[in-house]
Amino acid sequence: MSSSQPGSDAGAALAGVRVVELTDESAEYCGRLLAGLGAVVAKAEPPEGAPSRHIGPFLGDEPGPDRSLAFWADNVGKCSVVVHDDAEVLALCDHADVLVHTLRPAQARARGLDYATLHARRPSLIVCAVTPFGQDGPWADYLADDLVLMALGGSMAACGYGPGPDGVYDTPPLASHGDQAWRTASTYAAIAVLGALVWRQQSGRGQLLDVSAHECSASMTEWHLMTYLCSGAVHRRGPHPTLTAADGRQVAALNPDFLGPHVFAGMLEMLEAEGVAGALSDPAFADPVHRAANYREVWRALKRLADKHDGETLYQLGQRAGLPWGVIRSPDEVYGDRHLHARGHFVELEHPELDRSVTYPGAPFLAKGSPWVMHRRPPLLGEHSDEIRTRWSDR
Amino acid sequence: MALDGVRVLDFTRLGFGAQATLICGCLGAEVIRVESTRFPDAIRVMPPFVPEPGERGEAFGAATLANATGAPSPNRGGIFYKYNTGGKRSITVNARHPKGLQLLKELVAHSDVVTESFAAGTLDRWGLSYEVMAEIRPDIVYVSMCGFGHEGPDTDHVTMGPTAQALTGLTFMVGLPDRPPAGWSFSYLDHVGGYLGAIAVMTGLVHRSRTGAGQHIDVSQLEPATALSGALFLDALVNNRPSRRRGFPTGNRRAHPPAGPSGAYRAKGDDKWVVVSCRTQDHWEALVEAMGRPQWSLDPRFATVTGRVEHADDLDARVGTWTAGRDRYDIMELLQKSGVPAGVVQDAADRLERDPQLAARGHYTMLGNAEVEPLPLEGVPFRMSDTPPHTGGSLRRGPPCLGQDNETVLSDVLGMSSEDIDALSAEGVLS
Repeated sequence: MSSSQPGSDAGAALAGVRVVELTDESAEYCGRLLAGLGAVVAKAEPPEGAPSRHIGPFLGDEPGPDRSLAFWADNVGKCSVVVHDDAEVLALCDHADVLVHTLRPAQARARGLDYATLHARRPSLIVCAVTPFGQDGPWADYLADDLVLMALGGSMAACGYGPGPDGVYDTPPLASHGDQAWRTASTYAAIAVLGALVWRQQSGRGQLLDVSAHECSASMTEWHLMTYLCSGAVHRRGPHPTLTAADGRQVAALNPDFLGPHVFAGMLEMLEAEGVAGALSDPAFADPVHRAANYREVWRALKRLADKHDGETLYQLGQRAGLPWGVIRSPDEVYGDRHLHARGHFVELEHPELDRSVTYPGAPFLAKGSPWVMHRRPPLLGEHSDEIRTRWSDR
Repeated sequence: MALDGVRVLDFTRLGFGAQATLICGCLGAEVIRVESTRFPDAIRVMPPFVPEPGERGEAFGAATLANATGAPSPNRGGIFYKYNTGGKRSITVNARHPKGLQLLKELVAHSDVVTESFAAGTLDRWGLSYEVMAEIRPDIVYVSMCGFGHEGPDTDHVTMGPTAQALTGLTFMVGLPDRPPAGWSFSYLDHVGGYLGAIAVMTGLVHRSRTGAGQHIDVSQLEPATALSGALFLDALVNNRPSRRRGFPTGNRRAHPPAGPSGAYRAKGDDKWVVVSCRTQDHWEALVEAMGRPQWSLDPRFATVTGRVEHADDLDARVGTWTAGRDRYDIMELLQKSGVPAGVVQDAADRLERDPQLAARGHYTMLGNAEVEPLPLEGVPFRMSDTPPHTGGSLRRGPPCLGQDNETVLSDVLGMSSEDIDALSAEGVLS
């Protein structure tokens, strides 16, 4: 099986859709999603390669444009086309349906890649500009990486460790690894592109999509805004209920009563079967008000249970009793999940030039009628420069 | 609007599923929430509650799904207002009543998309499996969204956002070295799962218009998360460098690309912080200038990024001394004007009341309903030049009161007379 051909995947949702990607590392995840939906994503790169090719970690810790795991993670499934100037970018766009870029408004104008120019050349082209703050506004020219966006967007303010015994927060607000603000913006960019494609199917017209990573980041903190509007309180950093299992692994263990009083019965049955129910066998604990007042006893019983089992077992035990527990895994420990394997989630791709295969996280959902496309390993620099130009010359 | 003419019959509850149909609504789809007066969506009836004008609501600490019985009304649950913009309509139908089920089947016949976020198998038990729906409407796009999806050995597992975040590595990725993970203080995966749910809906629509075929798309809360760790997954599987190791995760520091100073620094005030992140030599030199070239900043140890990373503890302490006495917004302004990436650690109040960019971009839209005064609510955080999204959806209105659209939907969509509707209501079908 070919591992790198930019052929079409006829059954995929975006079969036949052509995307030009001119982005830095902040929006590459968008193209990864579009490629998975079946679009041919031509990554336009300078001769030295996209910036992410030079970001580690690298295969065997040896740098090289074709060895960056950061690049692999977000560019699997794409094609690589080396462009020497912006005329070559425009030439690609002349045969494309979508351009995703990360140029600031002034940069785009200076390079002749602004929307007015692109639209005049090709009215059907959908242009998706993913920038830190959007196309306008007082911060439009400000600088931001993922960390800055996680701060401004509100995630960090409430993520981190609680205060010490004196009530003073002695550790900083924390941002997640994995560039979550950029990923959220990239995902919204894919949403905007899909919406524009649906509309173009009827109208034949392209349009400009203006994705502000700051706004995307600001809209992902669930109940925080509503809490403030309703009560005037803001969420701050603090601990979340976790049990420590016998192997030291931790299990996120929400209060079972969160789901409703009926959950307690299943939990009690499990704790009794495990011989750790203790005081909870007292019928008084059937009353949720009594439980709430004596939650320490509930927690003690759960800790006795946790002392008996490793984290993965504790997770399965809790779930069998109807509890919304989850063992805290590192990103790579997810690879051990039997459920994801049964759903065929992980995909092994050949890297023939390395004489090895690499396993990637695969489809984000199971679309029965238009399967996720994941045949192509991340492209070598310039691998498809000729092929894309030849194939795309037909329209 | 982009999804004009698309009708979504929406059985979603809570955050995960509702996030998906919120997006569809903001893009112009007609979203009809199918609800129940007897089993209202938990986020309709759990705190924090939207207060009466002039009052202050209950704090969030008491929020559980279980204490929903004390709700003042099914229209005041605050979190409902986060997830149900997009001009969604609300109807109440008793699916256990034979006529209720029949009504739902007629609505399926008139819909393009069906969305739901029940536990796997729930709609099947109602008699509304995908097979049944596809018989009624062969090209229906059916998007199910539940924690573990509809296939696999653990489909009966119960998840909330924090559960899925623990299982997929998200919780692990927030923390300081050699301490237990700090995790997230909100259900990030309710959002991410919902984004992928919206992508699934539009995937189904694009595919349908090309092929004429509908399909079932099975969205779980796990798979949308596995690629969020970027290179960490590959670093473990390819380089044999597992994330569970001494010194990892690294708080706000990132090894790739090497950067410094990069982190959150204490500013003036109680627990106020600002982020500074120098990814290039230019950023660093601009920071030195902005700070007024203090003597310590000229230390040769800090001259290169390698040195700054190596001496990060010392560097962070120095930068922190410079930020400590200054206002966090002043620091951000000064550094940004000097060419240094910097940003205030903003909380929800800051975003609403201080952030000039969100205000200028029209991030919030004032929307209410018959019971709730207009609130600043959020929709989709992007713009489209030719088909502008709207937080109030195509109807330009706020989140719906429970069952407020029974008559409109049944008469407009199914062409029922008001006598028919009254009769159904009297029989308890619309409950």
